[in-house]
Amino acid sequence: MTQPQPPRHAAMLSISNGGSSLAAAADKQQPPQHLHTQSQSSQGLRVPSNRKTIYDRHLNRSRNAELSRASFAFLFAEMVTYAQRRVTGIQDLEKRLNEQGYPLGLRLLDLLFYRTMSSSTSSSLSSSSTSSSPPNRPLRILPLLHLIHGPLWRLLFNRPADALEHSVSPETPNEYMITDNDPLVNTYISVPKEMNMLNCAAFVAGIIEGVCDGCGFEAKVTAHNQPTEMWPGRTIFLLRFGESVMEREKVLERAGVK
Amino acid sequence: MSYYFTVLSPTDVPLFNIAFGTSKSGGDGIARFRFPDTAQYMNQFIIHSSLDVVEEAQWMNGNMYLKHIDTYPPASAYISAFLTPSGARFLLLHQPPQLPTNASSATTGSSSLLGSSFSGSAGSSSRASASSVAANPTSPQTEEAVRQFMTEVYENYVKTVMSPFYRQGMEIKSSVFRSKVTAAGRKWL
Amino acid sequence: MTSPGDAAPVKPPPSFSPGVPRVASKTRYPNQRRDSSPSLDADLGDSRLRSSPTPPLSATTSDLPIRSASPRPQSFRSSTPQLARSSLGSPVEGRFEGSEEIRSLIIRSFSPVVGVCASADTDELVRQKGFAGGFWELIRPFGENIPGKIVIRDSVGASRGWEDFGVRFVDLAGKTPTPNDSSAGRSSSLAQVEDVLDKQLGSTDDPLGGSLRPKDFLSFPTTSPLYKVFLRQLLSISSATPHETFRHPVASIIAISSRNTAPLETLRQLYADTNNGNKKVPDWVHPEYLRYYVLVHDEDRDDIAESTKLYDQMKRHFGLHCHLLRLRSNQCVVTDDDSAQVPECEWQSPAERLSGRIEPLVDLDTNGLLYLFESDVMAIKAFVRELVAQSVIPYMENRVAVWNDQVASRRRGISGRFMSMSRRWAGFGSGSRSSLTAGGASGNYDLSHGYYKADTPEAVLRKMADFAFMLRDWKLSASTYELLRSDYANDKAWRYHAGAYEMCAVSMLLNPSAIGTKMKLDGVDQMFDTACYSYLTRCSDAPNALRCLTLAMELLKSRGGSAVESAARWAMRAMDLGLVGPIGQGLFSERVSACYAARAPVSGMKWGSRHRKAGMWSVFAADAWLRLGKPSLASASLEEAERLYADVLDADGSFPMPEMQTFIDNLRHAVKVEYLEARGLDTRDETTTAEALGTEETSEKLDRRRNRKSLIANPLDLGGLGPAQGPRDNDNAANDDFERA
Repeated sequence: MTQPQPPRHAAMLSISNGGSSLAAAADKQQPPQHLHTQSQSSQGLRVPSNRKTIYDRHLNRSRNAELSRASFAFLFAEMVTYAQRRVTGIQDLEKRLNEQGYPLGLRLLDLLFYRTMSSSTSSSLSSSSTSSSPPNRPLRILPLLHLIHGPLWRLLFNRPADALEHSVSPETPNEYMITDNDPLVNTYISVPKEMNMLNCAAFVAGIIEGVCDGCGFEAKVTAHNQPTEMWPGRTIFLLRFGESVMEREKVLERAGVK
Repeated sequence: MSYYFTVLSPTDVPLFNIAFGTSKSGGDGIARFRFPDTAQYMNQFIIHSSLDVVEEAQWMNGNMYLKHIDTYPPASAYISAFLTPSGARFLLLHQPPQLPTNASSATTGSSSLLGSSFSGSAGSSSRASASSVAANPTSPQTEEAVRQFMTEVYENYVKTVMSPFYRQGMEIKSSVFRSKVTAAGRKWL
Repeated sequence: MTSPGDAAPVKPPPSFSPGVPRVASKTRYPNQRRDSSPSLDADLGDSRLRSSPTPPLSATTSDLPIRSASPRPQSFRSSTPQLARSSLGSPVEGRFEGSEEIRSLIIRSFSPVVGVCASADTDELVRQKGFAGGFWELIRPFGENIPGKIVIRDSVGASRGWEDFGVRFVDLAGKTPTPNDSSAGRSSSLAQVEDVLDKQLGSTDDPLGGSLRPKDFLSFPTTSPLYKVFLRQLLSISSATPHETFRHPVASIIAISSRNTAPLETLRQLYADTNNGNKKVPDWVHPEYLRYYVLVHDEDRDDIAESTKLYDQMKRHFGLHCHLLRLRSNQCVVTDDDSAQVPECEWQSPAERLSGRIEPLVDLDTNGLLYLFESDVMAIKAFVRELVAQSVIPYMENRVAVWNDQVASRRRGISGRFMSMSRRWAGFGSGSRSSLTAGGASGNYDLSHGYYKADTPEAVLRKMADFAFMLRDWKLSASTYELLRSDYANDKAWRYHAGAYEMCAVSMLLNPSAIGTKMKLDGVDQMFDTACYSYLTRCSDAPNALRCLTLAMELLKSRGGSAVESAARWAMRAMDLGLVGPIGQGLFSERVSACYAARAPVSGMKWGSRHRKAGMWSVFAADAWLRLGKPSLASASLEEAERLYADVLDADGSFPMPEMQTFIDNLRHAVKVEYLEARGLDTRDETTTAEALGTEETSEKLDRRRNRKSLIANPLDLGGLGPAQGPRDNDNAANDDFERA
């Protein structure tokens, strides 16, 4: 890895040859919101004169860095355009967006835990970490949802999600809803009338799905438009957990696992 | 003490393997397992069989570091496990040396030599706890040392995972990663 | 394989069903195959990068991984007869039965011993019938399983019926291999066990493919018949020793025949012989035991009226413990109308097995087998039943009650504790003296000879505990052994000490109501550990150490749940200590596998089982068998391994770890080659079956891969860009520039 690094960094301008650098990773993987990417991406363009690899850089270095909203919006727009090529319909498009988000969710999960862990040990400034002790992997649905609703949303959008609800219908006890009143990804997107069912937050749904799946909770996550007077862009993320998850819930409930 | 460290994907595919010996107490960092060289598959068998216990502990214990979870008595191989939130498992097989003379032949001189040849990050405090690491694979000191090791590997693992050219379930081939793990092993184990 | 076990009706005693909580078995029962239910985790388990569906080698070998969840075509089974051991019939049923069956076998191995002491004329009469060993040999097989239910009352007065009760007849005259062989013989008895197994394996070239296999299939699919031979042999090693009284006679039959000219005098003489003649028991055996008088009437030659008269006389002289046994003196041959084959002896010591006096492996058409008239069989059965039900059992119940009252309760009470305390303190002062003079103030242990005299409280208590144990009153026996442990330790009577610990633990495990909480199981483990240490290190008694470890393993295994882990540990310990020979290593590896396989997954979940461990040990067993040059056994083990691994591996049965895969591929190949060599190359047609199965597996795999999208259809999964995409983009074909995932 060390050998090919310097030329790549030197030549880098586009995503495709980002090497193994976190900077490039962040470029592509963490587009939503003004994240920590800005400083990094500029660094990624510099030639690492000291031959330092990504492994020598601290992961928390960019935790409070922010990304320009414009560049994110541009990037995301590109992604939507890219996904739209040769799709058969709205559903297909949403599926593709979802699939783009999914691996991001898996990665964010590890990063999120790493940051919580290191912040708890180094007790740095951070406002985002909720727990001070080493974080636990979510074993039950509720802790998982709280993880998504709180820390994950804060990592992505700098604020928690707006609501977390459980389906009231007895037929669908496996359905949960996370509401975002104004999803950042949709801020600069106006969907044409003929595609009014489309919600580009399907990308975020994919992230959520990746997080759930990574934690071992099989789930299908979809994004739905639910505009209100006050929040025309209000989006509901519907999480449907698989049967095996529900069954495990019962077993863990009996075993007293929280 | 000899170590065999494996990173397994959530689907039990090995992503990374390394065997090394202790560098503490005069160890030379070379693994000497109790099996003959022709039977090195034993490490994988033992690791694989401990997944039974990992799977069970995984849902009973929300910690990332699950401590010592399994033992294979015939070879006195001890398994410690660390789970990443995204489902990868770090399994460390540690096996005390067969001959107690190996461990007791430790001279502080050689260990300091190793310490100096290695980048100075291996603090002197870790060396103090390390002598007991070799002695007893289930002592609290060992648990702590393994936890430190796992945490350090986790950090490097996260960096690997962040690469856009890495997919979950892919073998980790980076030589930098390997040297980082080796360094962590030298530092803590 | 000999079928001594199969000859006797060995089914789990129905009396187990009511009242006895079969918790362990029950929890394991319904969930055996739950893994097949669709779950996310199973799906996760499927999506992996390995693309080659089946390793090329396994496709050509017949022992393809068999997914236990998938319905198995019967034709496949029948086409590979030599590989099929574990999976015919319901495996769940079989496992359940197997554990009860082993339990029953262990219980029956501790049966009361009844001595046989027959007059010369009786033996002569029986010899005429073809039994060279005399009266003892005639009735011996009939004692091992008493027909019908035997009702036993325990110490609190509750009675319980047992279907599988039996007694062991021994020849008091010493013609039995009642081992005078002391130390030298004992150490080699394990070697004898190994020899028996070897003989067993050698006797048929394919012990599994032989005539026994179908029988084995129907009754206990998961316990190999060879292992049961081993277990039976191991439990038959022990002869009368001072430290335990299971082999001490509980009763003795004194038999004369109607030919005797001076019947009453002969009976008296025989009685006297058992008291102080050549049949006198050693010092450490309690001299008081039941005498049972039998008059054997010759139906073919003597007058029944005479015999009845004599019998009445006997009853007047000797009381109620008498029986009139009417036998024909003519020899019976197969061709006789009402001939019945004499059942084989289930419990023969290894030495007997090796001497081959009874050759159980001969084919049915040879003349080595003995026959009896149906009427004789009926008469002997009735006699044995009456002996046991009306004399032996009541006698033992009575003794337990008396000793419990006179000796044990005194020890249990305050004064008893005080006594033992003071005794202990006195021991400090007189320690040196006690080592010189037996029966000193500090203890009754005879250090120079290494035993307690039969009338000392320690010996009586042990006998009482053993009686209770044989009467299956495990609660009482456990508490009594517990009482004794410290006494023996104080006296440094290490073999006694080990025995008390061992049997205390065994009693606790056998006692169905003492359900093992974690704490209790730890205690049991501790006891086995102590017992094993005492046997092995302090007494160098390898056979007993192995018995102790084997009992520990089997009984813990039958408990199920978390106990199976300790069970496996004890089996590993036995292998580690080198107590078993090469064949034993193979058997124990299989056993460890069976222990782990008995661990049931958490209901509805995929975790909690130990299939990987079980599979691993089956592979080791296969390796061990192959090294012994037993490819058929190796192949059976390998198949078992594949069955076990099927739940945790991908549908194509390939191992995620490359070195494991290589090892198993090589093993498969070696087994195949050796097997074909041993058998000639007539099994080619299996290949087609295997291939048919292979395609079925593959198709199943495809529709199981769903989740974890990031892992499938991954264009980058070879670490490079582009080239990997070609062969696998079945659903991406339309948009090659679209990066899926």
